[in-house]
Amino acid sequence: MSWLRGASIAAVSAALALGAAQVMRNGVQGQAAAGNILRTIDGRPDLNGIWQAIGTAHWDLRDHQARPGPVLELGAVAAVPAGLSVVDGGEIPYQPWAAARQQENYEHWLTRDPEVKCYLPGLPRATYMPYPFQIVQTAGNDIVMAYEYASASRVIAMGTVEPPPVDAWMGQSAGRWEGDTLVVESNGFNDQTWFDRAGNFHSEALQLVERFTPVTADRIDYEVTIEDPKVFTRSWKIQLPLYRRHDRNAQLLEFKCVEFVEELMYGHLRKKTGDERPYGAARVRWP
Amino acid sequence: MSTRRVVSLAIVMTTVAVALAVVAGRAQESRWEAPRTPDGQPDLQGMWTNYTNTPFEVFAEGDKPDLYAGDPDRTAQGTGPGFLNDTAGRQLARGRSLVVDPPNGRVPIMPWAEERRNYKLAHIQDDWVNHTAWERCITRGVPGGLFPAGYGSGYQILQSPGVVAIVYEMIHEARIIPLDGRPHIGSRIRTWNGDSRGRWDGDTLVVDITNYNDKGSVATNVATQRVRAIPQSEALHVVERFTRVDENTIIYEATVEDPKVFTAPWTVRIPMQREPDYRMFEYACHEGNHALPNTLSAGRARDGAR
Repeated sequence: MSWLRGASIAAVSAALALGAAQVMRNGVQGQAAAGNILRTIDGRPDLNGIWQAIGTAHWDLRDHQARPGPVLELGAVAAVPAGLSVVDGGEIPYQPWAAARQQENYEHWLTRDPEVKCYLPGLPRATYMPYPFQIVQTAGNDIVMAYEYASASRVIAMGTVEPPPVDAWMGQSAGRWEGDTLVVESNGFNDQTWFDRAGNFHSEALQLVERFTPVTADRIDYEVTIEDPKVFTRSWKIQLPLYRRHDRNAQLLEFKCVEFVEELMYGHLRKKTGDERPYGAARVRWP
Repeated sequence: MSTRRVVSLAIVMTTVAVALAVVAGRAQESRWEAPRTPDGQPDLQGMWTNYTNTPFEVFAEGDKPDLYAGDPDRTAQGTGPGFLNDTAGRQLARGRSLVVDPPNGRVPIMPWAEERRNYKLAHIQDDWVNHTAWERCITRGVPGGLFPAGYGSGYQILQSPGVVAIVYEMIHEARIIPLDGRPHIGSRIRTWNGDSRGRWDGDTLVVDITNYNDKGSVATNVATQRVRAIPQSEALHVVERFTRVDENTIIYEATVEDPKVFTAPWTVRIPMQREPDYRMFEYACHEGNHALPNTLSAGRARDGAR
């Protein structure tokens, strides 16, 4: 092989690699190469299935280092793993008062996080909690996303919808297709939900634009633009991948956590019978 | 004419009317061609409601509606079976009973289960576990979530290849029913809503449900009268049948079998009406559940006053 031929092959390979990288990047932008994703009978991307985020965004959307869990006796079992920020640019553009509120939330996590009480998770939090969710995509009409956590769900109405009549924990979602990307615009939220377990929060002025772009049969790139003029100085974005659950006979199981928090919320109101089993003396280390 | 004869005549006329309605329904059923989804399933999709004025059971002397409503001392009014007044202008059917089998319209409940229900409903101020799973905002259950409750009765059915999803307005349930013939989950996993497996029997969606826990109850709301808060065992087995008999009607049937609680299987038949303009609102139950802490704190206040 002459040096020229070698160089040409190298150049072609480099070009192919660059091209492939370009395709991969474009995939994120909603132009996935046709053929490597599943499609429905009518040619739409087929998002049906059970999906789950793998990272640690549910702990904190931003960079976070590993730390021990809040209860001493749980040792390493309930420790918090480290994670890289899923926020474009790394930081969330809080207004000064809101940055202070977030810090306060962080310091009072157990008493303030709605997840501790098994409340509905809101969006986009439901998508990247450490539980699977199932997409049921009908032929040309509404799409339901059913989340294992707390039996939460949302129906995404395809097309235009009337303004939301009342605020809701899960908001109101309207969807449309842009190429191979499912674009979902949501509003009508209340101000009770958080983004993660680190106290990142929003007001009832929250507006989301979510983009679900399948890039392979088993991966959706999930991108959300978050806007809330009462809390942030500008809109900001998060991006993270969602993966298909391939476990044998995978299905959503029941996680009705209300039952797990009744003692926490109402225990002081229960009639004492004398047969109560005392709780152990667990030591809470933080927050 | 004596009162008894009038009542007998009324029963005969009702029976004839029901029989005629059933015959008419069958005739219509044979003419109706259910639309298909692109993958060939009978198409049940859309927004449905199940408002009705038909009582759940046939009422009997000795029934105690105040007790079944969790109000044995009759401190409140208006919780009896006649409260399902519709204000949205629907033409609501008023039949004999939703329970169609046994033919007397009465659920064959074992005495121990009635006693257990009586105890729990008379002690809702002691402990949240004496409330039904609905008041606890856990679930209205399966099949209980499809028993008419008088409000919040929207159901959206969505289908994709191999899956039927039913979104329940009340307590925001999104129930996923796989149709791919997979086996039930293992018996170690017990659940409030059971494990659903669906198949098509002609144009009827048949759903087999097992793997229940023994903490819930088949029926949770006051409109289910005497059956409300009757406990369920892990042996509970339910078979549901959804049949779209015309453009605007699904007939929903559930056969309930629990040999530890009922002396025989029993069946309810409930019409669901298509209501495309019905709009579901978020039913975020637990998040605003004041009833539970208020009931309990009233109980503790009562203890203190004694």
